[in-house]
Amino acid sequence: MLGMLLNGTVLAAPLIASKAVEMRQAMDDLTAAALNHDMQVVKVQPIDSALVKRGYEDPHVRIVFVGSETAVRWAEAADPRLLNLLPLRLSLVQRGERIVVVADDLEPWKQEFKDSPGLVLLQAIEEELKGVLTDFVKQ
Amino acid sequence: MVVWLRIAVSLCMLGFLGAGTSVQAQEIAMLSKFLPGKTMDEAKAAVQGAITSHNYTFVREQPIDSRLVPQGWEAKSVHIIYFCNFAKMNQALAIDVRAAQFLPCRITLIEKGDGVELVVVNPAWVSESLNNPLLHQDCQQLKADYLGILEEASL
Repeated sequence: MLGMLLNGTVLAAPLIASKAVEMRQAMDDLTAAALNHDMQVVKVQPIDSALVKRGYEDPHVRIVFVGSETAVRWAEAADPRLLNLLPLRLSLVQRGERIVVVADDLEPWKQEFKDSPGLVLLQAIEEELKGVLTDFVKQ
Repeated sequence: MVVWLRIAVSLCMLGFLGAGTSVQAQEIAMLSKFLPGKTMDEAKAAVQGAITSHNYTFVREQPIDSRLVPQGWEAKSVHIIYFCNFAKMNQALAIDVRAAQFLPCRITLIEKGDGVELVVVNPAWVSESLNNPLLHQDCQQLKADYLGILEEASL
């Protein structure tokens, strides 16, 4: 597992990638990586600044929502319950000089939808997210 | 080598390597409530009222395909309402940063022919796979809050 991370590849279940970069640059890199996979950043949730503004400790966490129209239409057609997973969430966690990007764990979803046509969409989403995170590391 | 150790420590701190007492799988994936006879606008208003009365703050509301299609072309039948309670958010992240998977809170509103269905991903279901009993407790409380909000919105 550690060897894989060191080689800059992406871990499965949950999908994780990390690299030494500042938060702002990480956001830019993630946006570019998402675009490479026909996904757009829909919204950034700056949890860090939202909590600090209210007097709480900085958790060094931001959330980026990414999505594509194709995924939405596919979910509507295959199994509308999957709309609850969209847009996709990527959590950015700052740890020292590194930013760790974590996608939501899709394993429980794949189990839940194992007998549904939605499983194919979940597998496709997983592949795309792997691609996004791999691109993020390479940028 | 130092980099290896840093990453290993960080991941352990984040809980990604998994540890502690296991959490038994018994939760259902989704929580839902159907609001018969309500329009999307009425359902949105009902949800926003219920959120506030449960001490949560409305964050935003958007169609499911917001920013994915040209403005004005968004789907009218599926909307998302995001909300949060900052004290609870702070507490959950302090327990386990993977709590970000539940943040901010979200209800999906799906318009059907004769009403609107409110659907929530059960946070206790998600936390079963994270294997952190403390976070799971927090998620069960969050689930109770969701159920309260869904119930109130349906009144």
